[in-house]
Amino acid sequence: MNPITYLRPGSVDEATRLRADFEEAKYLSGGHTLLPSMKQGLARPSHLIDLTAIPGLRGIAVEAGDAALTIGAATRHVEVASSADVLRVVPALAGLAGSIGDRQVRNRGTIGGSVANNDPSADYPAGLLGLGATVVTNQREIPADEYFVGLFDTALEPGEVIVRVRLPVPLAAGYAKFRSAASRYSVVGVFVVRTPQGVRVAVTGAGEGGVFRATALEAALSANFSAEALAGLSIDSGALLRDMNATPEYRANLIMVMARHAVNNMGRVSMYK
Amino acid sequence: MNDRLLKTTNPGGSPLINERLFKSIGKPLQRKEDQRLITGKGRFTDDFSMADQTWAWMVRSPYPHARIVHIDKTAALAMPGVLAVLTGADCMQDGLNAIQHSPVPSTQYDVKLRGPGDTPVFTGQHYLLPVDKARFVGEAIAMVVAETRDQASAAAEAVEVQYEELPWVFDSREAAKPDAPRVWEDIPGNVLVDATFGDIEGTEKAFAAAAHVVTFKSHVGRVTGVGLEPRAALGHYDADGDAYTLYAGSGGAVRQKRELADVLGVDQKKIRVLSFDVGGNFGTRNRLYVEAGLVLWSSKKVGRPVKFRAERSESFLTDYQGRDLVTDVSLAIDRDGKFLAMRAHNLSNVGSVLVSLSPLGKGSGLITGSYDIPLATLRAQAVFTNTMATQAYRSSGRPEVTFAIERLIDRAALQIGMDRVELRRRNLVKPDQMPYMNAVGSTYDSGEYEINMDALLELGDFAGAEARRAEAQSRGKLLGIGFCNYVESSIGTPKERVDLIVHADSVEVVIGTQPAGQGHETSFAQVAADVLNVPFEQVFIIMGDTDVVSAGGGTHSGRSMRHASTIIVLAAEELVMQGRKIAAHVFDVAVDQLAYDDGVFRCLYDNRAWTWFELAAKAAAAKLPPELAAGLRVRFDNEMHTPVFPNGSCMCEIEIDPETGSLEIKRYATIDDVGRCINPLIVHGQAHGAIAQGVGQAMWEGCHIDPATGQPLVGSLMDYGMPRFDNLPSFKNEIAEVLSPTNPFGVKAGGEGGTTGALAVIMSAVEDALLPICGVIEMEMPATPLKVWTAIQEGRKRQREKSPARTDARPEVTA
Ligand SMILES: Cc1cc2nc3c(=O)[nH]c(=O)nc-3n(C[C@H](O)[C@H](O)[C@H](O)COP(=O)(O)OP(=O)(O)OC[C@H]3O[C@@H](n4cnc5c(N)ncnc54)[C@H](O)[C@@H]3O)c2cc1C
Repeated sequence: MNPITYLRPGSVDEATRLRADFEEAKYLSGGHTLLPSMKQGLARPSHLIDLTAIPGLRGIAVEAGDAALTIGAATRHVEVASSADVLRVVPALAGLAGSIGDRQVRNRGTIGGSVANNDPSADYPAGLLGLGATVVTNQREIPADEYFVGLFDTALEPGEVIVRVRLPVPLAAGYAKFRSAASRYSVVGVFVVRTPQGVRVAVTGAGEGGVFRATALEAALSANFSAEALAGLSIDSGALLRDMNATPEYRANLIMVMARHAVNNMGRVSMYK
Repeated sequence: MNDRLLKTTNPGGSPLINERLFKSIGKPLQRKEDQRLITGKGRFTDDFSMADQTWAWMVRSPYPHARIVHIDKTAALAMPGVLAVLTGADCMQDGLNAIQHSPVPSTQYDVKLRGPGDTPVFTGQHYLLPVDKARFVGEAIAMVVAETRDQASAAAEAVEVQYEELPWVFDSREAAKPDAPRVWEDIPGNVLVDATFGDIEGTEKAFAAAAHVVTFKSHVGRVTGVGLEPRAALGHYDADGDAYTLYAGSGGAVRQKRELADVLGVDQKKIRVLSFDVGGNFGTRNRLYVEAGLVLWSSKKVGRPVKFRAERSESFLTDYQGRDLVTDVSLAIDRDGKFLAMRAHNLSNVGSVLVSLSPLGKGSGLITGSYDIPLATLRAQAVFTNTMATQAYRSSGRPEVTFAIERLIDRAALQIGMDRVELRRRNLVKPDQMPYMNAVGSTYDSGEYEINMDALLELGDFAGAEARRAEAQSRGKLLGIGFCNYVESSIGTPKERVDLIVHADSVEVVIGTQPAGQGHETSFAQVAADVLNVPFEQVFIIMGDTDVVSAGGGTHSGRSMRHASTIIVLAAEELVMQGRKIAAHVFDVAVDQLAYDDGVFRCLYDNRAWTWFELAAKAAAAKLPPELAAGLRVRFDNEMHTPVFPNGSCMCEIEIDPETGSLEIKRYATIDDVGRCINPLIVHGQAHGAIAQGVGQAMWEGCHIDPATGQPLVGSLMDYGMPRFDNLPSFKNEIAEVLSPTNPFGVKAGGEGGTTGALAVIMSAVEDALLPICGVIEMEMPATPLKVWTAIQEGRKRQREKSPARTDARPEVTA
């Protein structure tokens, strides 16, 4: 491993300045994606700019009238999972955070890191896309529908910092995931959200381009929010991933089954393996 | 020194074995080693460091098969901290020898595996670093030694190896084809073993006359041990004494010492190997690794100690792997369900170099399982492939053949329409047939197979299974009931040595076995305590340092408890004789005036009596004549060849969700005949771990290789599914103690039985669950949700195509 300089800025401005100064610098949040990839030699930053000490990047707040939740980028999974506010207004999101990895991962990993990384099997992208969240950066506000661009790819510009995410509080939400026996990441995860404007269904773990919305399911559930409304529908396996865990056809099936479980279990996370 | 050859000792035949006086044996005593291990005081290889130590890093082949055209060290040597870059050419120049793994099982009880046309078996040459070719992904091609581990790793990337890629083959069936790429140019084709056993003519006749012939084919895939402690080695060459020291956890330090001496071309006396706590072995550490030799050799070259520690990803690629057997079996059965004859063709994948034929050999002797099948023929083949070498892996070879015979019998029951338990019952070897020689020449020592089977059916509530199936069905789930019997063999290295030493406050037992969690410090102490009638707490077992442990066979093949209990009691008999002589001297009486009973030396004509510890104290203070000067200490060598045959039965129930193919084990019960059980707590623990390990292979584990590139797809715990507590039910285990007549305590073995039946019983349950939809399934392990779901889809499609009307024995469930 090459020598690395560790930096701990006290403000977002300082962080972005440092990032501009060093071409090979990388932001560090919980480190639970970045450090493993450094150990494997897949990432070789010259400088690590730790964002977690920046005031204001951490914490959870509910807007007046319970309209929305804001979660600071450096807020850890464990904090979201155990937050009384999150449990009250979007319990499925707390459940989602509590279903990530294991205890060690949840004690370090952060929502900002997860969203910046946009792993095709990660859980938060489904939560954000399903809830129609807004990713707030140091430069702008990006709607989730425009933010998740592709596999490990987002709308973030180089050097752009996620400051927080804003999640509108829905009528209800439910999350069902089928986990890999080895990694325990989602082979398929379906986040179903009821809002006054209609139903949103976000699918993680399955798409060749990362997280996506299952619009046919959304239409059916918007018309009739029940598991029966899903009967007869199917997912086109054309753009789904193939790996050791699943074929595209199997994933297409799991999306339908998980969608039904989510609809039948609104207000919580249901896990299968 | 005694050199007694035990053939058929009576259990309880020794005067020192007095069951009524047992205080420790048979009790679930807490393990002596646990306090140390759970408080971080274990001594694993990486816990050892030496002043001035340097670090090694391997340059590994990225190709499954490639000629090494040129290695340029220049850039690497110029990197900071680099002390040496070493290659196969350097090994040759220094005259290093290939590792002699003694891979062909050679006791008189092993089947004789031979090369094609009855030739000697070609093993390949396992040099520390190859000169000619890389033969698997991950093979060490060069080694960098540097001041720090990071420097070594960075420099390894700068070693420029020019490869010429060659065609490769990883599947044993492909490798056995005449036009397959050759792993070794030296032999035509990759087939290194091709031997046929049994009564060919008789078998043919029986098949021709049979009312039913049933066949079963499968591939028992490749798995790896995933020891919690990645393997490591610390080597030091001391120029002053011209001597080598190696710290490396293994399955037996004595063997490592012998083989390292061969590799380095030095006298064994010049090498000391230390192996204390070992964080997982399962067979993977029972053969020498190239890194052990490399750290010693390079230490001499750089003049400082050299340490190597594998990354988890290196362990996945380069720990010796397990299983990988293609099996094709068939059974001839008469009208009444009596087995007449069996045919088997087993093809073992040994990987890129031959390290051990134990998996093929062990399995070969047990193809007929627990059943009285009068005739059998077996063709046993082994091939080289461009994969990591395989080695005996927990219950070497037996889970594979148990899987074959037990799945075959399940198929037979379906095919001839007989209850699968009844079919087994009609064919089990009976107690009055013991000792029973099976059709391929293995002699089973003892066992009560039918009694065990019935006890298991009771324990697992087999009778209630159909009701549970109906209940599952009412919830839209498919319940499968798996069942199997097993018999396995425990042979292992026949020689063992012990030193028994009595001090004024303790007994030391120095022995050449090497546990990796099996609890020898406890169970051996229980035996020594009871044969000498001393407190268990005061017995200490010493292992692992070849300067202390001068000989010994290590731990594998379920040999340790049997060898240890035998040699401890034999040595104790000598120790008693020695004790009487010393007591006679100290108290100035004739030896025949001294009696020894139950741990006490008594003078026959007065009231004087001394325990072992009192006598040891007195002896230490006394001036003993030269022939007794050693004190209360004996060294005993024993050789014990006769194998024993642990056996048992298991059942499990698996619930399948037809919508997702997900599987949940709801019930798992076993009866294991381990012979005498010295410590039921330890034996149950072994059973639990062994079951998890077997179930792991059946349901989650697999060293998959990409068929398009030959690259291993599994390099981390992200891809390799380990058994986890929340995927396993609480087991119901019972121990059956049918004493073996082959050794004084009647010990068989208890560490592997759980694994032996697990593959068969899980796949039996999966097939049973899917039967109404799929009929019999051609599913290779691991039975993942993906495979189960896919099988269900195909089964339904076939059903739709065949006929809309259902002909199943059981109706399909609907969600
Ligand atoms: C064993 C294990 C199991 C896991 N299981 C799961 C699972 O089941 N589900 C799941 O969803 N995830 C899982 N993860 C991933 C985990 O949730 C990570 O913590 C998360 O993906 C990344 O968050 P982090 O805070 O650790 O980010 P880091 O590793 O610190 O950073 C990740 C990337 O994001 C960038 N970055 C970080 N913060 C910001 C920011 N504010 N603005 C811009 N860029 C930023 C970094 O530069 C880096 O490129 C697992 C991880 C491990 C190690």
